[in-house]
Amino acid sequence: MVAIPLPALGSQALPPVPGAAAAAGLAEVVEAARAAAGRLPVPTPHDEAWRFTDLSPLARQPWQVDSGAAPTLDAARLAPLELDEAADARLVFVDGRFAPVLSSTAALPSGVRVGALAAMLADGGPAVREHLGRHAAFDVDFFSAVNTARLGEGAAVVCARGVQVPGAVHLLFLSTGRSAPLAIQPRVLVVAGEGSELTVVEEYASLGDSMVFTNAVTECVVEPGATLRHVRLQRENAVSFHVGRCAVSVARDARYRSVAVDIGARLSRLDHAVTLAGEGAEVTRDGLALLDARQHADSHTLLDHAKPHGTSRQLHKCVCDGGSHAVFNGRILVRPDAQRTDSSQQSRALLLSARAQVNAKPQLEIHADDVKAAHGATVGQLDADERFYLASRGLPADQARRLLTYAFAAEVIERIPVRSLVGRLAAQVMARSGL
Amino acid sequence: MSAVLQQLVSQPYKHGFVTDIESDTAPRGLSEDVIRMISARKGEPDWLLQFRLDAYRHWLTMTAPTWQNVSHPPIDYQDIIYYSAPKPKKKLASMDEVDPELLKTFEKLGVPMNERAALAGVAVDVIFDSVSVATTYKAKLAEVGIIFCSISEAVRDHPELIRKYLGSVVPTGDNFYAALNSAVFTDGSFVFIPKGVKCPMDLSTYFRINTQDSGQFERTLIVAEEGSSVSYLEGCTAPKFDTNQLHAAVVELVALDDADIKYSTVQNWYAGDENGVGGIYNFVTKRGLCQGRHSKISWTQVETGSAITWKYPSCVLLGEGSSGEFYSVALTNHMQQADTGTKMIHVGRNTRSRIVSKGISAGRSSNSYRGLVKIGAAADGARNYSQCDSMLIGDRCSASTFPYLTVQNRASVVEHEATTSKIGEEQLFYFAQRGIDAEQAISMIINGFCRDVFIHLPMEFAVEATKLLGLKLEGSVG
Repeated sequence: MVAIPLPALGSQALPPVPGAAAAAGLAEVVEAARAAAGRLPVPTPHDEAWRFTDLSPLARQPWQVDSGAAPTLDAARLAPLELDEAADARLVFVDGRFAPVLSSTAALPSGVRVGALAAMLADGGPAVREHLGRHAAFDVDFFSAVNTARLGEGAAVVCARGVQVPGAVHLLFLSTGRSAPLAIQPRVLVVAGEGSELTVVEEYASLGDSMVFTNAVTECVVEPGATLRHVRLQRENAVSFHVGRCAVSVARDARYRSVAVDIGARLSRLDHAVTLAGEGAEVTRDGLALLDARQHADSHTLLDHAKPHGTSRQLHKCVCDGGSHAVFNGRILVRPDAQRTDSSQQSRALLLSARAQVNAKPQLEIHADDVKAAHGATVGQLDADERFYLASRGLPADQARRLLTYAFAAEVIERIPVRSLVGRLAAQVMARSGL
Repeated sequence: MSAVLQQLVSQPYKHGFVTDIESDTAPRGLSEDVIRMISARKGEPDWLLQFRLDAYRHWLTMTAPTWQNVSHPPIDYQDIIYYSAPKPKKKLASMDEVDPELLKTFEKLGVPMNERAALAGVAVDVIFDSVSVATTYKAKLAEVGIIFCSISEAVRDHPELIRKYLGSVVPTGDNFYAALNSAVFTDGSFVFIPKGVKCPMDLSTYFRINTQDSGQFERTLIVAEEGSSVSYLEGCTAPKFDTNQLHAAVVELVALDDADIKYSTVQNWYAGDENGVGGIYNFVTKRGLCQGRHSKISWTQVETGSAITWKYPSCVLLGEGSSGEFYSVALTNHMQQADTGTKMIHVGRNTRSRIVSKGISAGRSSNSYRGLVKIGAAADGARNYSQCDSMLIGDRCSASTFPYLTVQNRASVVEHEATTSKIGEEQLFYFAQRGIDAEQAISMIINGFCRDVFIHLPMEFAVEATKLLGLKLEGSVG
């Protein structure tokens, strides 16, 4: 099978995208994205938005675009990834392709439709066609353009008006690395209808040690008065590359609560853009990057207050060990009309090793005067008073350090609205901290 | 109430006047010939000409940066007069010989010369269109070994010092405008404080732009030797006219072991009219090098003028235990744009820095704080604290904050905070209840907001700055 260089991943001359036929109704969007993918260069550190993230290891590598194997998996390998809250509310993708045998949506109430993109485009109602490709801008972003140009495989979740979905919907994107190095282009669309309430867990994980490039695009639409809880978990293996784009539009009086956790990948980048598009929208956006060895994680968030009376709260934490490098760029934009906005952002980074480094840029752009906006950023080590406190209780210094490191990360993990996931992540962080 | 504010904000520029003095000017445009002419006119040694030419050749390879949060029509560098000097008459022995026109100008500006200078205890090295005309207090300073003169004089009288330090903090190719300045700088101030000397008075230079279309390219160099200290004041006003003027100064500070340099600026150049016509482009490179152990550099600035203010007074904290401070008030009104802040580069161990920035935007202006705090891998025990507050007056202005934090050392602590607020009806109502009118109330609120910065200004400046902000905002709140 031919390997394709990164800049050509979005161009037309590739083998047909699985499931692309279903995207036919979106031919215009795909066509425009293809043109953009051909036109846009791969970003370099000379681009301000990529200043601290060098993509050259990703750009050097040619990629397979299809594993060629049937999307299946030994069920035993899947078991440890299942969530109690999302039993029978799960879609599984293996190496970029939908795996119907591993998926089940039997537990979901009527009124919420969850399915592979292809099927949902065919009979998921007008919402899918209406929103897919409309929120994640691909005309200025290379990676969105590539994903949209290869639109095919992915998941759609559409929750009808007023429906409350208990538990969570689990979207699991697994890579096995049977055909490496493999580039996959997952796509997710979530539409929470007016007044509905929904929890979605979007998870990216590796089941092997081979190199995968995941280029994921997620679009979320939260309609008036709806509540969407969104967990995005990236824990791919340490040789993989992950680029994620997540564009969210929050309507009048709607709530969007999200937690994004990055603990995997050699190089990961997430651009999370949330637009408070209606009056009185409420957003919380929390993030955690837990890094070690040579890992590099770059998180760019944008909270775009476009309408008055919006509220946003943000907490972002980075823990860097080994020779890792964390980047956080948190931008808060208050547009001229968005009076009475109340926005606050906290960014905290913990450096555990002499070789680790952090770049933080909390950024405020205010174009309205009746606004409360604040941000705070700290970079440092564990607090001396806290260490002393634990020492005074007889805890050895090393154990105190581990405990405090765990507690630092746990503050974000505990905000995840899915209990079983909290427990699992907490255990993982504990193991990592040596507790 | 908003009418009062409106009126307050739209106060005409009070220092707008053009002094009519004959100037000896270079032809428009920039070339090696122009640089050779400037150098020859100033009777400079070969190495300095070489310095200029190197900078110019480097400049030719550079392009103007575009990342800043300001916009202006492209600048035609071939349409600028790079040298303009008052006609050299005979050498001036005393103040009486100074052109009376010039003295009148100073009087209008309230520069304390002559007896007034003595009373104010300020030595003023007046730069008037690129050539130093009069210097006071030189003798008194010379007694303790302090050199305070124009750069041209220093090149003539102390070439070894200039050669050693010029370009040592801001290299000729540092950035587009610094390269341009290095190629064509015409004059500026030089201060040298010898070992162990505490400068007995605040040193002050009033810069003044005159002669329409003459870009000003000052060069300031301050060197403080071991254990010395100095406080330097820079104040600016400019005459009012319609053509944009480019001002690309370079300021270099060097502090050796235990030395302490305090650099204060009050900037009130012509900002253009309320539609943004005219006004100065103030693109300045200011950088201090804390070279010695336990050295300290402190920048304090009050930026109220210029159509565009674009500068980042910075500290490179090289010496162990050295510290850098930056205190700034930037006020923009009408169509003014400011993109200002600081860089604190921590290289040495146990270095400390503190940043306090207050931005006030009114009218349709745009005010940005942009700062870098970088903790290098070897800077164990480094500590930084930054605070950036913005205040918006009216709903058509904007305030932005772009702080870059880069930390490569785990044994260090960096903290950054920013807030945004406004002057609300409720606050004004509270004052009104107590019989304080809107204008006074605004002035009090603003002064409270800026207090953390003003307390770091020398006395004369603090008074001036308080008045200046009140003046600038008169009529703008409601």
